[in-house]
Amino acid sequence: MVSLVREMPMDTCAAGQQAQRRAYLTLILISLFCLAPFFWVLLAAFDPKASQFLALPESLTLAHFHNLLTNESGVRWIMNSVVIIGSATVLTLIFAGLGGYALSRTRAWWKRPLLYAIILVRIVPPPALIVPVYKVMLTLNGWMHGLITGLTDDAALQTTLLRMFSFVDGYLGLILIYTALQLPLAIWIMKTFFDAIPKDYEEAAALDGASQWQTLRYVLIPLALPGFAAAGLFAFINAWGDFLMPLMFTSSPELQTLPLGMFRAFLRVDAIDYGFLTALAVIYTLPAVIAFAFARRFLTQTFSGGVKG
Amino acid sequence: MSKIELRGIKKDYQGTEIVKGIDITIEEGEFAVIVGPSGCGKSTLLRMIAGLEDISSGELVIGGKLMNMVPPDQREIAMVFQSYALYPHMTVADNIGFALSLKKVPKEEIAKRVKDVAKMLELEHLLDRKPAALSGGQRQRVAIGRAIVKRPKVILFDEPLSNLDAKLRVQMRAELTKLHREFGSTIVYVTHDQVEAMTMAQKIVVLHNGHVAQMGAPLDLYHQPDNTFVAQFIGVPKMNLVKGALQHGLFTLPCGEQVQLDAGYGSSNELQLGVRPEHLQIVRGGSGWEVDLVERLGVETFIHLHCKTQEQLVVRQEGDCQYDVGEKVALTFSQDRCFLFESHGQRRLPAIAIAVAS
Repeated sequence: MVSLVREMPMDTCAAGQQAQRRAYLTLILISLFCLAPFFWVLLAAFDPKASQFLALPESLTLAHFHNLLTNESGVRWIMNSVVIIGSATVLTLIFAGLGGYALSRTRAWWKRPLLYAIILVRIVPPPALIVPVYKVMLTLNGWMHGLITGLTDDAALQTTLLRMFSFVDGYLGLILIYTALQLPLAIWIMKTFFDAIPKDYEEAAALDGASQWQTLRYVLIPLALPGFAAAGLFAFINAWGDFLMPLMFTSSPELQTLPLGMFRAFLRVDAIDYGFLTALAVIYTLPAVIAFAFARRFLTQTFSGGVKG
Repeated sequence: MSKIELRGIKKDYQGTEIVKGIDITIEEGEFAVIVGPSGCGKSTLLRMIAGLEDISSGELVIGGKLMNMVPPDQREIAMVFQSYALYPHMTVADNIGFALSLKKVPKEEIAKRVKDVAKMLELEHLLDRKPAALSGGQRQRVAIGRAIVKRPKVILFDEPLSNLDAKLRVQMRAELTKLHREFGSTIVYVTHDQVEAMTMAQKIVVLHNGHVAQMGAPLDLYHQPDNTFVAQFIGVPKMNLVKGALQHGLFTLPCGEQVQLDAGYGSSNELQLGVRPEHLQIVRGGSGWEVDLVERLGVETFIHLHCKTQEQLVVRQEGDCQYDVGEKVALTFSQDRCFLFESHGQRRLPAIAIAVAS
């Protein structure tokens, strides 16, 4: 009797362990399946004999990266992407911060309709907007062109200015388009975030003698940092992954962004250079990972203890 | 210097009048408590004094200057919020020194003044902590420190103790009184708790539905309430009110008992007799009232009674008294401890002329 009682739980325990082992095995298989493409990209990027098959490299090399950054226009693509998406993210955060705050605090009757109108913009798939947006940008571009050519006769300066401020085939156009596309979600995130910040802080600041700007600078922005991190992360990663807009709005090779460069490299007529492509993919992925790591610090940082007991 | 005068102050919010014409004068250095049930407009009134809320009509004068349109930071006032509203991303020292740093006070001066305030409030060892790492009482103290570091002429408190537990509240009441004595600023303190009002105030303003129901020294309100609202709001448990008729100074309760009052009160069929639980005496072995509930607290005992017409009363007796539920007792009313109120709530005072005539 005694031994039987003693063995019973051991049996169930063993059975439980076996079931658990089976579950883990299944999970490991699924994860391997999901991770394999990433492994391939990572391995091929450092493999001197990179191919389309997943294989352990015989030796490791940085030649693909070196080739990408020196012989090819890799640095330019990276810079283009970082400048355009970075500026768009900063602009998005400024507008979303101000707009979200205003929408959170106002009690006007148009608050709700406006909020839904804003999210409606987000629902429209961006390709559907291309034709009208292109038309608008082209018109604006004509004006900008006239303005710049009127400003200076220096051909070199004209080229630089045009590249920076053109609405079509220039930085400014892409920056504005990305800002406009990322704003709706960012405004909603910020509005929701400001909703959670009690008005008491602003009133306390007002009594402490803070101006509107000081309240914003010393009280609201620090408190809203997690919101800014979330909104900025979404804006950056969404825009970073976009391929359509630079395809439509840029034509000069000097303005090519990373995804476009990758696409064009893939389409080259000569044999596909897998090492080059995977190195490019690794570099393309890095900023998103860095952005996430950076934002995570703020995302997890929540403030408490300021109000209530 | 820092006398506060409210003249005909009104607050209209989207067509609803919340504060309906208030006239109050708070003397310099006075500790005034505005007390009333929730929704009586007391917080709105305080926020109007602070400048966080527009004044719909009337005049607000602080220290002889009209303040209606003056922004909050230029009124030389400080406010302690119910929620404390400590900036959660700043340390205790930064929280206290924030107002000074905005005014571009030199760093050493700020550090010194913050240290002085911290010493006064026993916060010295907490200066580097963030609000999240403080207990409720400590946060409360930081909030007070943030207010007094500016050396304001007026400090406003918006229900500052309502988030603290009962024990801490008693302690903070004593500390606030002490602080007022040392600091000497004019204090306007809003609360719904009449105990806070009675224990701390030099002047109590009782608000009811946007009107001043009565104002005066705490014990004046206790001993001479103007109306049933004040009579029942001040004092725990609240004053008993029993409807009845008055004929030539003889008040007849619905269950038949009679109380002899001053003849000068005249006659009326619709009056209310007010008597505090501590001014009633129970006579054992009598009849007329039946014991419903006995609350024995050791130092005092509350006995809830009803009579055959379902009128209810509470009696307070000193010490620990034992009564059985259902026990029949009689009551004695002492004439000079009874108040008479009209049916609409206003207190009826004996008319000397009639008293003389009869």
